[in-house]
Amino acid sequence: MTTTMTRATGAVTLTTACLCLASAADAGEGRIAIHVGRIVTMAGADIEDGTIVIENGRITSVAKGAKGSWDAEVIERPDLVAFPGWVEAHSSRGMDRPNENIEVAPFLDVRDSIDPISFYFEDCLRQGVLAINVQQGNLAAIGGQGRVVKPYGLTIEDMTIKPASGLKVVASRPGRSRALQVQSLRRAFNELRIHLEKLVQDKKDGKDTARREALFQGRDPDKEENKKGRAMEGAATWKVKDLESVPRGQVDEKQEPLLRLVEGKLMAFLSCDGAISVVQALDVARENGFLANTVLVIDGDAWKAADRIAEAGVPVVLGPTLLYVERDPITGKEIETFVPGVFREKKVRFALQSINPSAQSLWFQAATCVGYGIPREEALAAATKVPAEILRLGDRLGSLEAGKDGNVLLLSGDPLAVTTTVQFVVLDGNLVYDRSKDVRVQQIIEGVEQPNAAPTNTGDDEVDPHSGEKKDKAGTGGKKD
Amino acid sequence: MIAFLTPFLALAAIQTQEPEARAWTIQAERVYTGTGRNMEKALVLVRGGQVSAVTANADEEKERTEDVLRVYAVTAGLVDAGVRVTNWTSVEQSNEVTPNLRVADALDPFALEWDRLLRTGVTTVLASPLDRNVIGGLSVVLKTAGPESIAARTVKADAVLRGSMGGDPSAGNHPAFGRPTDFYSRRPTTRMGVEWEWRKAFFDTALGHNESDPGRATLVAALQGKLPIFIQAWTTQDIRTAVFLREEVQTRPEFAAAGMNTPRFVIDAAAEAWKEPQLLARSRTAVILPPFPAAGRTRENAFMAWNVAKVLKDLGVPVALSSHGSADMEQRLSVQAGYAMAGGLTFEEALAAVTSIPAMLLGVQDRVGTIEVGKDADLVLWSGEPFQPGARVVGTIVDGVLRYEGWTAVQGATAER
Amino acid sequence: MLSILLALAAAPALQNDGPLAIRAKAVWTGGGKVLENAVVIVDNGRIQAVGADVAIPDGAELIEHDGVLTAGLIALHGATGAVGETRDGTRPALPEGRVGLAVDARHLDFEALREAGITCILVTPDPAGITGGTTAVVKTAGHTVLRDPAHLSLVFSAEGLSGNTTPTSTSGALALMQNLFAEPRGVVAEARAGKLPCLFEVREREDVRRAIAFAKDKKLTGALHGAALAGEVAGDIKAAGLSVIVPALSIGTPKRTLDAVIRLQKEEIPLGFGLDTPWNHAEALRLSAVLCVRAGLDRQAAWEALTAGAARIAGVEARVGRIERGLDADLVLWSGDPLDLGSVAQTVLVGGKSVAQKESVR
Repeated sequence: MTTTMTRATGAVTLTTACLCLASAADAGEGRIAIHVGRIVTMAGADIEDGTIVIENGRITSVAKGAKGSWDAEVIERPDLVAFPGWVEAHSSRGMDRPNENIEVAPFLDVRDSIDPISFYFEDCLRQGVLAINVQQGNLAAIGGQGRVVKPYGLTIEDMTIKPASGLKVVASRPGRSRALQVQSLRRAFNELRIHLEKLVQDKKDGKDTARREALFQGRDPDKEENKKGRAMEGAATWKVKDLESVPRGQVDEKQEPLLRLVEGKLMAFLSCDGAISVVQALDVARENGFLANTVLVIDGDAWKAADRIAEAGVPVVLGPTLLYVERDPITGKEIETFVPGVFREKKVRFALQSINPSAQSLWFQAATCVGYGIPREEALAAATKVPAEILRLGDRLGSLEAGKDGNVLLLSGDPLAVTTTVQFVVLDGNLVYDRSKDVRVQQIIEGVEQPNAAPTNTGDDEVDPHSGEKKDKAGTGGKKD
Repeated sequence: MIAFLTPFLALAAIQTQEPEARAWTIQAERVYTGTGRNMEKALVLVRGGQVSAVTANADEEKERTEDVLRVYAVTAGLVDAGVRVTNWTSVEQSNEVTPNLRVADALDPFALEWDRLLRTGVTTVLASPLDRNVIGGLSVVLKTAGPESIAARTVKADAVLRGSMGGDPSAGNHPAFGRPTDFYSRRPTTRMGVEWEWRKAFFDTALGHNESDPGRATLVAALQGKLPIFIQAWTTQDIRTAVFLREEVQTRPEFAAAGMNTPRFVIDAAAEAWKEPQLLARSRTAVILPPFPAAGRTRENAFMAWNVAKVLKDLGVPVALSSHGSADMEQRLSVQAGYAMAGGLTFEEALAAVTSIPAMLLGVQDRVGTIEVGKDADLVLWSGEPFQPGARVVGTIVDGVLRYEGWTAVQGATAER
Repeated sequence: MLSILLALAAAPALQNDGPLAIRAKAVWTGGGKVLENAVVIVDNGRIQAVGADVAIPDGAELIEHDGVLTAGLIALHGATGAVGETRDGTRPALPEGRVGLAVDARHLDFEALREAGITCILVTPDPAGITGGTTAVVKTAGHTVLRDPAHLSLVFSAEGLSGNTTPTSTSGALALMQNLFAEPRGVVAEARAGKLPCLFEVREREDVRRAIAFAKDKKLTGALHGAALAGEVAGDIKAAGLSVIVPALSIGTPKRTLDAVIRLQKEEIPLGFGLDTPWNHAEALRLSAVLCVRAGLDRQAAWEALTAGAARIAGVEARVGRIERGLDADLVLWSGDPLDLGSVAQTVLVGGKSVAQKESVR
């Protein structure tokens, strides 16, 4: 992405740096000034009639009357509302396939599975979801490493905001008993421990198998950073003694990410679909030292364990169903529980997840929260600031403030109104989306016939298939294309 | 006394006595009457199950009652003309044309579905048999709350003759492979077969070939226009088939001779109506839209554009929206109205599409669909601007009885009234 | 101890055909009447006399019973003796199907019923189509069919519907039912004329309403069976003058269901208990009543529902259900209060003959 992008005529005023002889294309990159009617900053009060200045892909100023450099592009849209991008705290979409058929696979990375031209990312861009934490699906015990990406770019490197965002850990796997699943989890950590102890023992016995295995796996165990051993760190309830005797480069690559998790150097996205799993999952996290780096991804009646979650101090990503419905066994009537309300009451930080495959409905979820009594500021934060912080990207995403990534949505209205649309998207200071040029919007939203569809009959020269007569033009009600 | 909607009152016990229609004074920031006369900071007074006054004069002390509800907005109860009864026992599949069967016989007033609809602000529904038959039978217009009896909740019995074009009536049927073991080998297996069954039923009626058929009287009434015909047709080809069928009845001499050439059609679930809106405008056929699809296409692989309501409305086609009976957060009727606004309808038009227009299509507009003095006191109380996902139904009144109280069952929510 | 010896000793003697006198600590004759230390005289299979000061005929066998003597229990819904013969799925309506002809009254399964103190059972066709035929009242011993047909079974629940033959729908079933009664013949005509009561098979509360509406329209009498929550529409049932057969209850039965039974009784609706043999154990009959008593059902009403009330629903009250001169000598000698599940049926008589003997567990 090296050139400036197309713009709607009359909609965007551009002051391109065409006078600057030195690489006109580069000069415009990541440098833009956006003047809108209202800025919902998500960092303090909204700013009316304000300007967002972005230099080198970073926001440098958000204020009324802020000025960009003389050669910056200018978007002049006082009719629009600026908003930080929505942040999807957890998603298993956009990949070639969401699951690998391996029970314990911390060595996998979604980087090898993410499909940059997936329709999912296109849709995210259209809906203003500007950061997505892509995580493996739930068909595993320990899944691969996730990655936070932007919905824009032709390669995974272009898209990446944060590699290795965390390991997927699954406490309740669909179609499997909870007992077996938790057993699988415990066994995974047990096997890590056995592996490490064997390395230490082999070292004591003078065996060289670990080094040869490393060479076989294509790693260089003799590289300087791999040669060092280090005592086991972290808060796990178990420790492998004398681990410092083993060069880290000799730890099996299939186990190494799990060791990092246990040592507190990786995050875990711990998935639970019920209250009972929450308790077990938190126990596993505590025993193995990654509780402090855990984000619970919950569904079903997991909210019933809200007290335990609050006690453990971990944030949660809420499942798509915000209103939990169960049947009262005595009266036979239904009881509704508004799940975000429970977590708010318990002071647990929560982020929202989109409802369904393609609606990218973070705004809808946030609006629903407002409907059920959560203050607007908190509801908006649950789909912007909070997920950004949960992903440990709070310094880069989630609000419009100086120093943060130059990501801005230009909305036609209030971010929570059903009629609002994303008009423009600026990513890292570059205009990457313009709704008026979005062909698919015309097809999906505006009901424009797709070019390759069968020709339609307007009724003009149509012959009635039953009477065989030509239809009366006056009978069309005088309405014609 | 101000009713602050006591927690768990509604859930207290199932054996409570039937509540009475109380005299309510509803104070609202916005009263959307649906008649074009909207008011701010107004009162709606309810007496004896009916709306007794709608007034902007908040000082009408003599009219006010002890029981006051304070809310942000009030609209008329929502009307959903496309509720699907998912119960398989609602359709008699041993015959594919069963015009005389009543879906009311298969409904259960104790079913939780009614409560769910009530919680989403839907107070009146058209309940139709499952679309497994070509002509499925007679649908009924019901209130979603009231005495626990279908008869007592009925607004209009035998309101609509219900049938279907397209794939639903033929799905799963098959030719007899060797030995016919059940009726699935006799029912139609294609769209052609379904359409033929419609025409056969209509022609047999006009020509008097079905004198002994118990469904004949119903078909006669339908062809004479005394009973509207609601036809499910998702795709553009099925919509065309339905429109052409009606035009055939209107123009063929057999029907004119029998005095049966004035049927009234409503196309239900017309997802692809946006493709040939002129066709519907020309034939003056009203449309009920299915829920907007979350991901691409709807049932029958039909493609529903988000501006379909707007396109039809601009051509003068009456459009009603439907949730198909779903109370899911993103599919409920109030949200459908919001989606239609996103597709270009104004708030007033969206309101009409979920209240007065479906009431008109069902022929119950003298009782429900707007807030007017003398109409049923079916009211929805909203926490914010109706149809925005950020507003919710905090109360539903049916026939003057506060049947649902929104804040009660939700933990963690704070209410300000 | 004495009573045990006597009961055991009496057993062979009961094989005699001569008159028999039973003196019990308490005799529950029915209708809430309890006679203390009373004597019941049995001869020729009938009850000849009941009272505290009845003279014991010469040559009569005397049994001294240190417990309660009652009439035999009556189970109102089951398939004992006709298992596998109560459902004919070949046609939607089979009103002339007679379960009475399918019952093997000597079937070994009756033994379990006798041991539980059950002396009569209403054998019923399965709910299939709109009617599976007529019911019959059978004694659990002695190869006696007391009444056949006893009811015309009419199905208003979804159990009667099919996936691939007519009817598949509630409305379709109702239309067929109307047809059946349009030109009534045979047992249908008898039901229509009020000569034969009907057994309305229902499940949901709305099924009850539909059955009642139909019964009112056709002026039918009889009993509803199968709706656990029928009591929640008790007012409608009362107004229609129908009885209710409560489906067999189990330990896990929710309070709501038990409360519904109590509501039926409060509306003074005639009650009986179904048993649905062979799916339930015979003791489930007494258990059903006891569960209701625990939840607050009047004891007397519960007992009536097991005996005289059930006899009325089955249409055999002139023969069984009470201890009264002239009625069949279907009697049970309980070790204690029969509404205490710790009590057992020590001796069961059908037609004056011992058909079950049990050692006391005391």
